[in-house]
Amino acid sequence: MNATLALIEDTFREAFARRVLWGFFGCCTVLLLFLMFIMRVDVVAGALATVTIFGRSMPSQDLQNLVQQTQSVIAMVLYFAGMALSVFASAGLVSAMFEPGRIELLISKPVSRTHLLLGRYLGNVLVIGANILYLVIGSWIIFGIKTQVWGMGFLLSSLCTIFIFAVLLAVLVLAGVLWDSAAVGIMITFAIMIVTPILAQKNTIERLLDSEWSRDLVKVLYYVLPKTSDVSIIIRHLILNQPVESWMPVWSTALFGIVVLGAGIWRFQRRTF
Amino acid sequence: MSEYAIETEGLTKVFRSSWSKRELVAVDNVSIRVPKGTTYGLLGPNGAGKTTFVKMLLSCAHPTSGRAMVFGRDSREEEARRPIGYLPENHRFPTYMTGRDMLNFYGALSGMETRARQARIPELLNLVGLDERAHNLRLGKYSKGMLQRVGLAQALIHSPKLLVLDEPSDGVDPVGRKQIRDVLHGLEKQGVTIFLNSHLLAEVELFCHEVAIIQKGKLALTGTVQELTSGSGYRVESVGVPEALETELRAKAKSFAATNGRLSLLFGSRQEANQVVDLLRGNGCEIESLGPSRSTLEEVFMKTVEAAK
Repeated sequence: MNATLALIEDTFREAFARRVLWGFFGCCTVLLLFLMFIMRVDVVAGALATVTIFGRSMPSQDLQNLVQQTQSVIAMVLYFAGMALSVFASAGLVSAMFEPGRIELLISKPVSRTHLLLGRYLGNVLVIGANILYLVIGSWIIFGIKTQVWGMGFLLSSLCTIFIFAVLLAVLVLAGVLWDSAAVGIMITFAIMIVTPILAQKNTIERLLDSEWSRDLVKVLYYVLPKTSDVSIIIRHLILNQPVESWMPVWSTALFGIVVLGAGIWRFQRRTF
Repeated sequence: MSEYAIETEGLTKVFRSSWSKRELVAVDNVSIRVPKGTTYGLLGPNGAGKTTFVKMLLSCAHPTSGRAMVFGRDSREEEARRPIGYLPENHRFPTYMTGRDMLNFYGALSGMETRARQARIPELLNLVGLDERAHNLRLGKYSKGMLQRVGLAQALIHSPKLLVLDEPSDGVDPVGRKQIRDVLHGLEKQGVTIFLNSHLLAEVELFCHEVAIIQKGKLALTGTVQELTSGSGYRVESVGVPEALETELRAKAKSFAATNGRLSLLFGSRQEANQVVDLLRGNGCEIESLGPSRSTLEEVFMKTVEAAK
């Protein structure tokens, strides 16, 4: 337990020594301040009277709908832009662990390699998770106080975002173990983030393809790779209080993450440093 | 429980290139035994396989064949690493940590409880000669010598029974070297086994009881420093030797050297040396020194490396 906490604490220290995470934190704070001071919502008898942004009145809508739509926009920005920033910030943290002169000292301690890697991985997820929760819980409280709308969907969406980050981090870990390179890890992870929304349109793509094998390839890739686009739809449904039709994108993405992280651990255990 | 701190049997490491299928034998069938409580030096030219050997002891590299045992446990076991304190050569300590933070981190990884770490950290930092100001200074601001000192403190944090040091005095000034040597002598007296990997032969000769020399991955020579440096004769040094006597003694000696009026003669046996001393004293010559001839460890090292080529 001591070693796990030390590894997590070390990841936090290193993350904050790298300015990019302060940037992430700063962006979240700016957004929260924006919501706190710039947006003014007047509610009269539980109904939306006016919404004022930068002192200008916006067209009034149903209060619940307005809050959910705004939360959904925040969640999507966080999901796609925040995720890209998180991957960029974390890649260096993963590969730094494998630096010659540092990894030997870590391995020489009476801690298993699996423990070392998972400690770093968990620390990294917690660093990014703390930033995501800071923004989501912060904005949830601001919305709640201003509008008295306290929907739980927005909070749940943050867990989905952290989950997808954890899966992409597993890819960064595997790339780090295989090539010691933050750049390669970023490229592969970004490729997944770009390709998977395209694969999510598999029905349309299949109609456009002539050969059977290419259609099969698209299907295989769709089911094997994480379903970032489909999970974003689930997040929207959660925020808008709409039923989720299928949880398959979540569990198949989780399976991908477990397999990739397992491969990273397996390779790390066998590697010579 | 084994009587050896380190024991290797046929330890071999072969690096294979996955593309060209070429093989490089970094360590070739090395078997050594390091008794508990001794100071042991591992010597060899650059690329001889010393670091790979040390990495196998610490399980950073997996042996291709053979095995390495630490206090009777296979070095690949997690528990085998618990009694080891290690200072790597080209270390890269986290620059965002202070000296205190670093010791706290590695102490936790070594299984120490928080309270024990808090008590030991200032004591150790002082022991290696880092003043109070340095305790809370970020490692990024440390000099090379300070990093070596904090690295040594890190290796000692959990009171290890075996210290594996790779170039411990690299970048440290002569005063600091003496300080480090004193710390290590103190540990030696406490029964800590010290395994030293160093290029500084004079330092190894001064500090270690036993040494092993490896060349091209193979064990070329092993023994106590005393055995390896002891020569095969006795040396007599004298001044004011008359020319006729000098000529007579040169003919008897195995080798001789004359510089600035001082004559140095090497004889094969103690009896011969004693006879020459009598002869010199009988002729009114002063004896400057008398004793068994010795080689330096550097001479032994150079001979061994040349022979292995």
